[in-house]
Amino acid sequence: MATNSIKLLTGNSHPELAKKVAERLGIDLLDMSVFKYSNQETSVIMRESVRDEDVFILQSTKPGEELNDGLMELLIIIKACKTASARRITAVMPNYPYARQDKKDKSRAPISAKLLANMLQKAGCNHIITMDLHASQIQGFFDVPVDNLYAEPSTLRYIRENFDYKNAVIVSPDAGGAKRATALADRLDLNFALIHKERSRPNEVSRMTLVGDVAGKIAILVDDMADTCGTLVKAADVLMASGAREVVAIVTHGILSGSACEKINSSKLSKVVVTNTVPHEEKKKGCAKLETIDIAPTLAEACRRTHNGESVSFLFSHAPV
Amino acid sequence: MVRNIVVLGGSSHPDLVNTVCHLLGIPNGRITLSKFAVGETRVEIQDSVRGKDVFVIQSGCGRVNDHLVELLITISACKTASAKRVTAVLPHFPYSRQSDIPYNKTGAPLSKSPTFNGGKNDFTFESRPGTPGPMDSPGLGVSHGGLEKELSRIALDRGADGGVNGVDRGKSHPPTPLRRTNTADSSSVSSSVNANEWVPPKGTGYKQWVAQAGTLVADLLTCAGADHIITMDLHDPQYQGFFDIPVDNLYGRPLLQRYIKYNIPDYQNAVIVSPDAGGAKRATAIADALGMEFALIHKERRPTRITDRQNATMMLVGDIVGKVAILVDDMADTSNTITRAAKLLKGKGGATRVYALVTHGVFSGDAIDRINASALDKVITTNSVPQDQHKRLCDKLVVLDVGEVFAEAIRRVHHGESISVLFRND
Repeated sequence: MATNSIKLLTGNSHPELAKKVAERLGIDLLDMSVFKYSNQETSVIMRESVRDEDVFILQSTKPGEELNDGLMELLIIIKACKTASARRITAVMPNYPYARQDKKDKSRAPISAKLLANMLQKAGCNHIITMDLHASQIQGFFDVPVDNLYAEPSTLRYIRENFDYKNAVIVSPDAGGAKRATALADRLDLNFALIHKERSRPNEVSRMTLVGDVAGKIAILVDDMADTCGTLVKAADVLMASGAREVVAIVTHGILSGSACEKINSSKLSKVVVTNTVPHEEKKKGCAKLETIDIAPTLAEACRRTHNGESVSFLFSHAPV
Repeated sequence: MVRNIVVLGGSSHPDLVNTVCHLLGIPNGRITLSKFAVGETRVEIQDSVRGKDVFVIQSGCGRVNDHLVELLITISACKTASAKRVTAVLPHFPYSRQSDIPYNKTGAPLSKSPTFNGGKNDFTFESRPGTPGPMDSPGLGVSHGGLEKELSRIALDRGADGGVNGVDRGKSHPPTPLRRTNTADSSSVSSSVNANEWVPPKGTGYKQWVAQAGTLVADLLTCAGADHIITMDLHDPQYQGFFDIPVDNLYGRPLLQRYIKYNIPDYQNAVIVSPDAGGAKRATAIADALGMEFALIHKERRPTRITDRQNATMMLVGDIVGKVAILVDDMADTSNTITRAAKLLKGKGGATRVYALVTHGVFSGDAIDRINASALDKVITTNSVPQDQHKRLCDKLVVLDVGEVFAEAIRRVHHGESISVLFRND
């Protein structure tokens, strides 16, 4: 008998987060195997029925060599669920990969974010749940509903609980993130500053100038993504030079690729707070400055609300406890 | 010299790209393929493709998923850059064996895979793992074993204090019945813990569902914007039907036939052998064309774990005593099939020499070691996937060049000429 209950599936990209979400939902992860054959082709075996069930597939991006493997895993799981007659398939992607390849900024540059959107839909995805999209316009690449959740409520709570936030200034490390940072500053009723940077090539930053006053204050750098951390480290230098008492960074997606951890360790940042949208437990061992905000409750609540047909907008301003 | 054409090469097989471009008399299309620090594939096309006929060559080998994503992004980039037509050239089509539900050919999970924690040490000559059934312990891929215990413990705790789902929004919502009810009889099961530990009784369990990734790949290529596909010796001829765009399936057969004719002494007295029933059609075609004898090896897959006796379940149909046996297959992946067939042919069958002719020499895992140690005298394959590395490690390997076939196919497709001449076998 079909029950149309929640089924939570996951690939190999971020099993810890999947376990946390499953725990919050009070269900088991679906019994399945995601593995590679010796010829490196990914395959999926599901040992439980998903016929007429409400399927949620949680797959984040694991930075490094296996990023594309994770992508194929997700597509193959979606396809497997589709052919196994699932009623609805929701891809839960806490960090949407290829989000930065979202425009044709050069001749013949691929819009890979759009390609991924098309591929997800082609594979059979009916709904997307994601978090802090690099550009929220990516939602428009889809013809299916996209719930772009915010890490902001969880971040707000973290700031309130862990910082002397009355003496802080919210700083955006680039002009693109100004909106995100001002929203946070408004909610906390704090001042706001901005760093203007000139970027010559991707993953590299050249010159920076600070707009605003941070003297004697705790500077809280806010961004949606920390990749190689070049921006954050340079921003921290600029902020300290401008008389900030302390510089901390709060970032939603802690990708921390390449030598990011060493950079953070030797930088003037006293703390880098990331959410667990991207697996980083290994990196935490090598970097004492790293701290984690758990966003599994938000994801779990979004899944539950989507399943029950309730509004998700409550989560845009509140973080479930 | 062919005009108005751009040939772009993926990172999987640069040699083939060079050969094809050389034969067409055009420079390689300038493209930069790399990865961002995070691991995302980065594609930059330096040559203009506006209004051009673009061919993207990428084989399914090595890091298959990376190469596939690279191909998809390249196709998409050309399409958005106003290319007139984009043709994906896939000498070896990735995921072509996963087009059907039972993936029971010789593909095997990586024995060194970190996620593969079951049965790692019981390597057998038949390294294809037993298909996991519903009664097997979970945890072949994502290990859920410990989690299940943990969750049932939590469920116990929750059950004790009312079973609220952990989300309390301050409103008076009735607890949502999220807990999975496995079967119809679970309504009679009062405690949710039992539902978690529910194990299907033997014989009535859910038959596991295996993904058909092959059809997905076809969809993805179309989705990325490919207008035309050129490939070679698809594992299933039905695969062409998964596409809504033209697919030209070239044959490696003329190359292999030519090799038999000119390189195997006294080939008229040799016997063509198909290593399994599925490839019989392919093998008989060659046997007929060259007027040779034909034999077939029938495989019986038994669930018993046998090492040496395994060969007893392979049965040879046909006579090869004192003759040269020529094994013909479309693909050698772990090379289990051909090495075991060779053992049977030389041992029981009494063949004097054993050749193996395969179109796609993927040779993954320990295939090369296996071939070196096997009774095979020669393995003939094509460079539909890069063979340089394999050739260094294996003296028995002979590589035939498919560059010419693909160059000619590209030329003909570009000019709108018939390519059926390439299917002729003489």
